[in-house]
Amino acid sequence: MTFAALSEPLPRPGPLFAEPRLAAFGLLLTLSLVLTLAAAALDPRQFQGDSVWLKPIKFQVALAIYVLSLAVFARWLPAGMQESRGYRLYIAVVIFTILAELAWIGGAALFGTASHYNVSSPLMERLYGLMGVFAVTLTSASLVFGIAIWRNAATGLSPALQTSIALGLVGTFLLTLPIAGTLASLPGHFVGTPATGAALPVLGWSREVGDLRAPHFLATHTMHALPLAGLAAHALLPAGGARTATWAAAAAWTAFVLLTFAVSLAGLPLIPLP
Amino acid sequence: MSPESLFALANPLALLGWLALALSPLAPRLADLVAGLVLPLLLSVAYGALILAFWTSAPGGFGSLAEVQALFTDPGIALAGWLHYLAFDLFIGAWETRRARAEAIPHLLLLPCLALTFLFGPIGLLAFTALRATRRATTQTGVAP
Repeated sequence: MTFAALSEPLPRPGPLFAEPRLAAFGLLLTLSLVLTLAAAALDPRQFQGDSVWLKPIKFQVALAIYVLSLAVFARWLPAGMQESRGYRLYIAVVIFTILAELAWIGGAALFGTASHYNVSSPLMERLYGLMGVFAVTLTSASLVFGIAIWRNAATGLSPALQTSIALGLVGTFLLTLPIAGTLASLPGHFVGTPATGAALPVLGWSREVGDLRAPHFLATHTMHALPLAGLAAHALLPAGGARTATWAAAAAWTAFVLLTFAVSLAGLPLIPLP
Repeated sequence: MSPESLFALANPLALLGWLALALSPLAPRLADLVAGLVLPLLLSVAYGALILAFWTSAPGGFGSLAEVQALFTDPGIALAGWLHYLAFDLFIGAWETRRARAEAIPHLLLLPCLALTFLFGPIGLLAFTALRATRRATTQTGVAP
């Protein structure tokens, strides 16, 4: 495992996943991909030019990565936190909201219809609103983890690493919230009308017009980007410099994400056609 | 992939499993792994994918025989139904093979039960159950299931 190799200089060796419920759930989500990938291979139906199963697959992958990442970061939660009743209830709520989102998105694919932006009936409109609340709830787990790790005096991590992990997790919530909120409040993820449908492979972001899924993606990966920067600072710089560099990286990343947000809102693609 | 090509792929796969069970005395663990787990799960994934792909557009339902017949007029759902047979019959065949081994039932006696399970699933299950019951009644050395 590359992560195990990278964390080699850190104290507190232990299992890669320190949160068994989220680890099990993340692996279950990963396994569930077998079914949707097979469905994508068999189902001739398309939605907006792609297989109806592409969106559920993307969400399964994204949420599996999110949940498994939280399970890894959990090793730096304060001792005893994971045993508390409130924490366990909260994790159960987070898992429930993720399941509900996937059921909603997968259910829409099952019927060959839209999930997000679907206000075609009072039921679908209500569901869309409810799923917004659920999305905030599931994303709040990164905020809760980030604050708890920030306040934990006994992580055994260097200040730069601890800061980068905590800022990354808090940043995922703080940056995703306004960007995803804007994304949801507009009529669709494009800002502008694509003419040819040219898009990036895998990610699917438009190369012709603004696509708010791009800043959403970057905002949500703050929890990965900042710890990587912190790890680099920890490895390359003396302690004091490393902490400053981590803060600088956090500021630069935030500025970068907000810039991509502004560019997308202005109707411009992040990676234009040549 | 079309339902037709999946059908053409699934039948030889299931046959491979039955062949493994028929020859299981040669490699019991391999036969059990292939016929009792890998192939039924593979067929189950294909079944699940077909349901995801064709369920909501298929006619009919479960409420009456006529509805069930209407359901199976959809090629995707008919294929799903066929894969359901293949997967579950093979799973039962693998269970019969494990039971027979555990209860020291001669393989030659198991073979006709496997053939019946392969062709007419439930009749094979009846035959195997009858075989176990008669052996237990006559030898009194049977092992509880």
